[in-house]
Order: sequence, then structure tokens, then C-alpha cells
Amino acid sequence: MSIMDQLPEQLRKQMTGELLLSVKTDLLPDGRFGEQWLAVTDRDIRIWQKDGSPAMKFAVSELKAARAVGAVGGGTLLVDTLDCPVVIARYTAAMTPVFNFAAKLISALAKSEELPVLSERDIPKQCPTCGNPLHEGTNVCQLCMNSGKAAARMLRYAKPYKGQLAVAACMLILTTLVELVPPYLTKVIIDDVLQARNLGSTLLFLILGLGVTTLMLSAMQTVRGYIGVWVGSKLMGDLRKDIYGSLMRLSISFFDRRQTSQFIGRVNSDSEAMRQFMTDGVVFVCGESLRIVAIFVIMLSLDWKLSLFALLPVPVMIAVSMTIWPKIGRRWYQQWRSIFRLNTLVGDSLQGIRVVKAFGREREEMTRYANANVEVVRNNIRMEGLWQFMFPAFNFIAGIGTLLIWFNGGNKVLHEDMQLGVLMALVAYLGMLFGPLQWVSQMINWASNAMAAAHRVFEIMDTPSEVPEANRPVPLGTIQGMVRFDKVTYGYEKHHPVLKEIDLQVKQGEMIGLVGHSGAGKSTFINLICRFYDTDEGDIYIDGISIRQISQSDLRKQIGVVLQETFLFDGSIADNIAYSKPDASPEEIMRAAKIANAHEFIVRLPDGYDTRVGERGHKLSGGEKQRVAIARAIIHDPRILILDEATASVDTETEQQIQEAISRLIQGRTTFAIAHRLSTLRNADRLVVLDHGKIVEVGTHEELLGKEKGFYRKLVDAQKELSQIKGVEG
Amino acid sequence: MSGRYDIRLFKPEEIYFSRGKGGVLQGVVDGKPYEELVIFRTFPFRYASEYISVRTTGGEELGIIRDIAELSAECAAELDKELQFRYFLPKVHRVASVKFKSDLWIWELETHLGETRLTMRNLHEHLQFPGGNRIVLTDMHGKRCEITDWHILDAHSRRQLEDVL
Ligand SMILES: Nc1ncnc2c1ncn2[C@@H]1O[C@H](COP(=O)(O)OP(=O)(O)O)[C@@H](O)[C@H]1O
Ligand SMILES: [Mg+2]
Repeated sequence: MSIMDQLPEQLRKQMTGELLLSVKTDLLPDGRFGEQWLAVTDRDIRIWQKDGSPAMKFAVSELKAARAVGAVGGGTLLVDTLDCPVVIARYTAAMTPVFNFAAKLISALAKSEELPVLSERDIPKQCPTCGNPLHEGTNVCQLCMNSGKAAARMLRYAKPYKGQLAVAACMLILTTLVELVPPYLTKVIIDDVLQARNLGSTLLFLILGLGVTTLMLSAMQTVRGYIGVWVGSKLMGDLRKDIYGSLMRLSISFFDRRQTSQFIGRVNSDSEAMRQFMTDGVVFVCGESLRIVAIFVIMLSLDWKLSLFALLPVPVMIAVSMTIWPKIGRRWYQQWRSIFRLNTLVGDSLQGIRVVKAFGREREEMTRYANANVEVVRNNIRMEGLWQFMFPAFNFIAGIGTLLIWFNGGNKVLHEDMQLGVLMALVAYLGMLFGPLQWVSQMINWASNAMAAAHRVFEIMDTPSEVPEANRPVPLGTIQGMVRFDKVTYGYEKHHPVLKEIDLQVKQGEMIGLVGHSGAGKSTFINLICRFYDTDEGDIYIDGISIRQISQSDLRKQIGVVLQETFLFDGSIADNIAYSKPDASPEEIMRAAKIANAHEFIVRLPDGYDTRVGERGHKLSGGEKQRVAIARAIIHDPRILILDEATASVDTETEQQIQEAISRLIQGRTTFAIAHRLSTLRNADRLVVLDHGKIVEVGTHEELLGKEKGFYRKLVDAQKELSQIKGVEG
Repeated sequence: MSGRYDIRLFKPEEIYFSRGKGGVLQGVVDGKPYEELVIFRTFPFRYASEYISVRTTGGEELGIIRDIAELSAECAAELDKELQFRYFLPKVHRVASVKFKSDLWIWELETHLGETRLTMRNLHEHLQFPGGNRIVLTDMHGKRCEITDWHILDAHSRRQLEDVL
């Protein structure tokens, strides 16, 4: 019995047979948001409205089958009655797995087949507290989890540098205190020396004192500044490393949906914003608050009544800060987004620069850029403009306090209630007090930028990998190379399966050729073996162990791939061949290249194995790159070998060379090969023919050719025709 | 015959649609009745009710309807309804609130299909601007809603949107 949502008691009582499934839909039959109940027993299928009034009922005997028809953003559960197809429920995309299961269950009942079991993966997990759907692989609800305030998390990066930061803090306290000395000395000079016409050596001493404090200040500021830079750079290094590490950890599907060049900017600029806040920002806040307190103490001790005037503007400033704080954060994000769009655009058109040039679309690309650029400029003005308004506003508010003190203090001095020096000191301290207060707005700016950056960074760090690592991976050792697909269904988007119910058992050392039209799902098939993606239903086993149970590094050690689009990294050919085994000796590298039929052409290059390839290096031809890639796979020495159209982009002669190389490579390894030219798969032990994500034929080349109306035969005939035409033309 | 490599555009009189007993779309094409038909928008973003592909359940394309409005009112209504089922994209009438809470953007929306809530991890990956003042919102779980023209929403909604657009 598999119950998704607990059926209300009153509905339960109406059921007679054994309850097999009960579930709540999230759409009404007319497509509006709403709920309905669906229950399946071994005798009938029933639908109720939310209030419990019955809506539909079918006896199992009336039905032929059931289907879950996926659409965009949702789907429909249909039953085929003896009479006609009937819509029984509608649901949004989040519920797709459950209703796929429901369809299977009802079909099995109708055809009196063995009933399917609801696997844990079919149940969309929901957060127990708020009911929001949970992501696969996590049990932490994004909504309920208060992911530790971003600021606190950010500060954790400063932890390893406690010592240095403590020194910096001491320096800060000292400088702050020392900074307060000069105005006091000035007061003494005015009141006790100048006004008192004291002609002794006091003036010299006082000025000497002033000089010494200034010197100390400069020295301490230098040291503090240096520590700040040091800690800041280290911090930023740590952050960048972590962000990059998180990116590497994420699954292929994360990158499928995103333009990758955007991350270059993000890694750098976001970590810079965070650093600025942590070093400059935090030091700044601590130092300035300390200074404000100290100044108040001194001012109050000088003349407490007058000092209170200085406090008047403070509440106004706080109020203004509080109101603009959220606004600034959002504007930062807006600005960031427009720059993000601009960068994406540049990344796109530069990656496709050949296409742009070939079609002569430079002008249009420039227009596109110009439009995005205008957006950035507009946001920039909005952001900086706000900031330009904030600064003078704070200045003005602060100025009012100074005016009040001048007025009242001036009067007092005139009436000889107060000494001139005290007034001068008060005004000087007040200037020092409002300095930091004005910079509060700068601080708001920094902090909100840093917060926005931190959110983006932590978002990457918190994104769970869609192919989670097993908790307790089964140790693999050297594998035999048996591969089994057990009812595997997979779609890049869940509601649109690309592979459907694939069952296949592959013996060790066997070579399997995958054939089918383009888009049939061949590449998807091998992506699943590499575990670039996880199956939606069913499982894949290697030597009888589910690949979900194998640690990913173990798995990839056993698998070697050669793809149609060969990517070579920036570095020498030797580096590229030895990519999976950096300590390979030159002999090993050459041996691998020899097997791959690459040795000859490499030696003839002026720089031999040290020829620099990759983005910025020597451009190898398609076939040459391919052979380097094969050498890379050979040195990896995998038990399972995957070749995805490894020879698609080369001429027949080169193909023959590569083919030779491959035939040496596959000795004793389980091999999955996809080839465009079917003739290259003739040596395969078995051919698996895929069509629209389903296996339609399995057998040897001869067996399949023997089938009169076979799928494979049709493919072969079509290719023969084509090559004959080519022969005539050529 | 224009052959199988040409797109066939239906003339309004060649097709007829209705709803079957069980609530599925059925129809008659070239005089041949079909118990169940599937329709696709070929340009879901640009043309909501034009260039509609009509297919059998087996996936064979029978032809393309240039514009639903050319059909009889009855057929057009049936197709409209079916499109709504197949392309679940509620239209937003009102944006009740857009909040940023514990690292997530939470949108409370009122749509023509009822109230709903979308959650997003960020805005830059979940908002699409297909052109004009149109916005397509996609949430973390793939649920989508559409704002056809954010300029014509009420003042409250616009204020909510202003900060995030
Ligand atoms: N990364 C992807 N995201 C979404 N859909 C994909 C992706 N890769 C392939 N597809 C789709 O999956 C289907 C099968 O593709 P594929 O396995 O590459 O076919 P082929 O047999 O030509 O190798 C195609 O319809 C393709 O559009
Ligand atoms: Mg492919």
C-alpha cells in the first residue's frame, strides 16, 4: 500500500477494496489552482472534490490503460476506458512523478499485471513545517532554514586570522585614543598659554607633544593598514578558492542551464565585495563606534549641556539610514544584474565570434551590446545618484548640530561663561564626531553590496549537487566491467523523458554499439553511465553495485570517454595526454600516443610533445585532436570505455586510423560506442538500436540485417544509398 | 502535393475540434475523425494563439493552424481551453508582495487561475523578459507564471515590481 497523502476518514469509509494509492492533486479539472482527491484500490478508481463530494468513479474492469500526459508546467492523468479516453486529474509539474506512478499503477491493474512499487524517488518530498516542495537530495527546507545570517557566515572567513585582526584592533583603539589628544592640547594652548600670555617654555613642550602624537598616529596607521591589506588579500584568496571548489562540485546539469563565462566575473567581483566589507567595513565600524563613544565622554566632561546639542541630529541620521538600507541593497542587485546581462552577452558573442563574422553580424551584435550597456549606465546613475544625494544630506544634518553649538557656545564665551579654548575643543571634537557619522552612509553602501555578493556566493555554495555523493560509498577496487540498466527512465526535464524504461545487460569486455537517429538518446544513455545525471526511475549497476552507491571519483577512474567535441586544456600535448595521470613517464605518454596513432603526427610538429594546444595554442585539426583524446583515454586505462561519435568529424582515411587505434583500445574493456557511420560498428558484439528513447532492437550486425522490416536494416539501407550517391559525385 | 518537406497550413474549413465525453480534445481533420488530438504552440512566447501545431497522439503532425481566431468561435474556444491545459502559465493579475526572506525571493501572486506563491533563489536566473513589458517568472520547482504587461498592473503591484526589475 502506498499512500501519498492521507485520505480523510470520511472518504476512506466509502472505499471497499484494498487502498493502493491516495493522492491530492493541486489543480482542478478546469485548470485552476485547487485540490482534488484521487484514490486507487484494487477494484476501482475514485475522484472527490476537496469538500468530499464525489466527482468520478471507474471500476477497474471498465479500463484499458492509463496515461500521464506531460505538458508544459503540468500534466494530465488520462484513463482509456472501453469507450473513450477520459481526463481524470490535472496537476502542476511538481507532482509529475506521483502521477506517472499512478498511471503505471492503474495500467497494471487494468491489464492484471504485477503492480509497480512506489519508490522513494516518486514521492515529491515536502517540508514538514511549511509544506513547500523540497529539492531532491536535501532534507533542509530552503524556506524554513535560516541559513545563518549571511554576515555571520561571512565573518567566519575571518576566523583563521584572529591574531592579526586582534593586533589590528589594538592599533585601532590606540590610534583612536591618540587622535583625541591634539584637540585637547589645542585647548590647553589657547586657554593656558595664548590667552594667559604664558611666555615660558610650556608652548614649546605642548607643540612637541602635538608633534609626537602626530608621528605616532602615522606609524600606527601604517602598521594597521598593512595588516588590513595582508588579512584582506588572504581572505579574498580563501573565498575565491571556496567558490571555485563549490563550482567544481556541482553537477553537469547546473552548467547545462547557465552560461559558464559569467562565473569568471562572479568569482572575482563577489569575493572582492565581501572582502571590502570584512576588512575595511568591520574595522571601520569598530573603530568609528569606539571613537564616537570616546568623543562623547570627553565632550560631556568639557560641557555636558552644550554637548547635548550635538546629539540632536543623531536620531534623524539613524532614521534615514534605516529607511534607505533595503533600497540600496536592491539597487545594488539591480545594478549587478544589468552588468551580469552585459557580461553574458559579451561571453556569448565572443564564444561564437566565428559565426558572428561569418554572417557579418558585427553591427547587430554591437547594437545588442549598446542596448544592454544603456541599461547598465542607467542603473549606475540611479545607484551612484542616490549615493550622491545621501552624502550631502548627512553632511547637512550634521552641520546643524555644529551651528547650534557655535551659537550657544559663542554666546557663553561672549558672556564669559566659558573659555574660548573649551569652545574650540568642542567644535573640533564635534567635527571629528560627525566625520564618522557621515561615513555611515558609505558604510551602508559597502555593507549592502557585500550582502548582495554574499547571497550570490552562498547560493552557489549551498546549491546541492544533483548527483549527490553516496553517504557510505561501496569500495570498488578494480572492476570487471559488467553494466546493467534496470528500467531506466530519464529526462533532462522531469516531465519530458528522453530515455524510457531502458533494460540492458552488458557482459564484461563486451562492445556495444548504440545506433539510432540523431536525438534518439544515445548520448544521454552514456551520460547516465558516467553519472553526469541521475536516473529519474530505475537504476544502473556496475558489477552489480548501483552507481549511486559508488563514490564518483572511483567511478570516473573506471570510465574513459572520447567524445565528438574534443576539449583540450591549455597546456602541452603531453600534459593533455597525461591529464588523468600527471605522473606518467614520457615513455608511457609516447606509448599511449602510438596506440592512438598520434605519435607520428606529434613528432613531426616543430615542438613535438611540448606543442602548446588549447584555447590559446596551436590549432590541431579535428582528427588530430581526436587522436590526442584517445591517447588520453588510453593512459587512463579504464575498464569501461565510452566513444561518442569519436570519428564523426574526420575523413575516411583518418577514420580508419582512428578506428585502428580504437580497436586496440577496446581490447578487454567493456565498450559503448556511438558512431555515425554504421560500418564502424560492425565489430560490435551487439548493437542496440534506440528510437525516441526506447530500445527497439538488440542483436549483432548480421542478425539485425536479417530482419526484413527491421529498424537497423532501414538505417543501413539509407546510408548505403547515400554513400552510393556520394560515390557517383566524388 | 507539396510533399512531406513542406509545412501544411490548415484552411479553417479543413478542421473541426470539439471536446470528447471524457474531456479530451478530439477533432475531424480532412474529414477523418480523431478520438484524441494534441496541440502544440510553435512559438509559445511570441505567438500564444497563432501557429498551433496539431498532432496525433503518435506524434505525427497533421498541420498548423495559422491563427485560432480564423476558426469558428466554437472550435477556437475549445482550442483556447486546451492550450491553457497544455501550457500551464497562469496570468498574473496582481502582485500581492515580493519579499526577500532567508535567502529566498517569495512572490505572492494572484493569477487568473487562482492565488499562488513562487519561490526563487535569485532573480537573475528566474525572470525572463521575452520582449515588450512581458515577464515570465519561473520558480525553483519549475512552476511558471506570466505577467503580460507589467505597466498595466495596478499601482500596488507596480510598486512591488519596481524594486526588483
Ligand atoms: N543538456 C540537455 N538539456 C536538455 N535536453 C537535452 C540535453 N541534451 C540532450 N537533450 C535532448 O535529449 C534528446 C536526446 O539527445 P541525445 O542523447 O544527445 O541524442 P543523440 O542520440 O543524438 O546522442 C534530444 O531531444 C535533445 O534535445
Ligand atoms: Mg549525441
